[in-house]
Amino acid sequence: MLTIPIETQILFAGILFFLGLIGLLVRRNMIFMLMSIEIMLNSAGLVFIIAGNHWKQPDGQVMFIFILTVAAVEVAIGLALILQVYHHYKTLDADAVNKLRDQNSK
Amino acid sequence: MTETDFLCLTPFLILALAPIVIMLVISIFRNYEIVFGFSLLSLILAFAALFFIAPAIPHSIQPLFIIDMYSLFFLGIIFISAFIVALLSYNYIKRLEGVREEYYIILFTSTLGAALLAVANHFVLFFLGIETLSISLYILIAFQRTKDNSIEAGIKYLILASVSTAFLLFGMGLIYTAFGSMMFSEIATAISLQGPLTSLAITGFGMMLVGIGFKLALVPFHAWTPDVYQGAPAPVSAYIATVSKGAVMAVLIRFFFNIKGFDDHYLFIIISAIAILSMFIGNILAIRQQNIKRLLAYSSIANMGYLIIILLTGTNKGIQASLFYLISYFITTISAFGVITLLSNAKNEAEMISDYKGLFWKRPFVAIVFTLALLSLAGIPITAGFIGKFYVIFEGMKAGLMLLVFAMIISSVIGLYYYLRVITTMFSPAGETTLPQITFMGKFTLAAITISILILGIYPGWLIDIITRFVGL
Repeated sequence: MLTIPIETQILFAGILFFLGLIGLLVRRNMIFMLMSIEIMLNSAGLVFIIAGNHWKQPDGQVMFIFILTVAAVEVAIGLALILQVYHHYKTLDADAVNKLRDQNSK
Repeated sequence: MTETDFLCLTPFLILALAPIVIMLVISIFRNYEIVFGFSLLSLILAFAALFFIAPAIPHSIQPLFIIDMYSLFFLGIIFISAFIVALLSYNYIKRLEGVREEYYIILFTSTLGAALLAVANHFVLFFLGIETLSISLYILIAFQRTKDNSIEAGIKYLILASVSTAFLLFGMGLIYTAFGSMMFSEIATAISLQGPLTSLAITGFGMMLVGIGFKLALVPFHAWTPDVYQGAPAPVSAYIATVSKGAVMAVLIRFFFNIKGFDDHYLFIIISAIAILSMFIGNILAIRQQNIKRLLAYSSIANMGYLIIILLTGTNKGIQASLFYLISYFITTISAFGVITLLSNAKNEAEMISDYKGLFWKRPFVAIVFTLALLSLAGIPITAGFIGKFYVIFEGMKAGLMLLVFAMIISSVIGLYYYLRVITTMFSPAGETTLPQITFMGKFTLAAITISILILGIYPGWLIDIITRFVGL
């Protein structure tokens, strides 16, 4: 069976992580930002699976299940908050939500 | 699980059961006073349980938990702070329209998350604790659903905190790949066996530092702090500034001292840079703020900068100094936000500095409490803040961190300027603003906190003795 070196596997997870990060920075729609965060969290989960496989331990997969659960909770609350944002601002554009900022007028 | 295991977990069981009971109660019969009283009672019970655990420690439940004197100490201050925040929230939350009882449910889950961090000895518990804490905070921050500011602060915190969690997790994953274990002590053993850190491990620690730096609001991960503090309800801002940061600090100190991070050249330089940047940027940005909550947010950034100097000392004495500093910072911050909480009413938060014009002539008691809190944050003698700073500087100098100590002293002087600006506003001739009545309970809480600030400032010896007993020499 073909074995892939661990560096390549980690690199793959790293690429996924940065794709998520770039998506977060480029996208202005909050739903897409939430999706990008999911990609980042899952790429971190992938690292745990890779490491668990590398060390022949179940710990990595246990951690992955925890990550999945927590990510689901985060999305649930995120969507609820996005719904509230839509009620208040009538848009999902992240740039529109900018009332809180430094006021440097004296 | 043995009996001792269960005994050691009682405070967590109480904290986990309380929200369930409250949920059941409010599904049948909603009464704000009952829920409030029950919450206070449960926090007292959780605190009392610590005394029953004390004979059984140090005890570790493999592989996740470690319950020793150090974690007991943090559990104690987390429960006390949560209790005071709950007390101060009473009137503030009562005035809100819509659902109010749920506030206490979420307060409990976030306290549970914070408490788990204090006993974490494994990445799984570290991650679960930090997520239980921050997911609860998303809800607490956005609790006033009718306010634009609250929702905005909530969504900003949600997105940024999730990204920081992703960084933290990815870092943990890399460290697990490098060392083959997720337990703090086993990672430490693996590090000592492998010699100098590989680039994989350095990347891992760096990414973890991003996640932790975000939760502690250290520069350059601080941008969320002023917005969230301003948008969140005042008692929740107090909670984020104290319980949330204190718990993350607890796990950070345990992890960092376990892996002996201060011995690594790169980590040493990175943390020194973060500390110096936090002190200066926090204090300099605070100068021009007109909003008192934002001002306190920037001041908390600077305070966390002072605190992480301790990580680099690498001694138990250093940990003792950090515990003293944390306690003085906790009571001072809670008292400052307590004043804001009590002076706010349902329509508007008392958050602009101009709202405090002539406060001394209208509400002398509150003005004196606020003045003492600000003086303590600035580090003026006879307040707790002075002793805390002195202790940190003393330990920093003993460890030879002259540059950091020097930066701390200079930035403290900058800090004095904006604290004194708020104080002079309070003592200037009275303005037109109308202030709400302050309840007896609020007055009593504030008086107790202020007296403890003074006691710690005048006679700190007993607390230092207690801390020494908890952390050892």
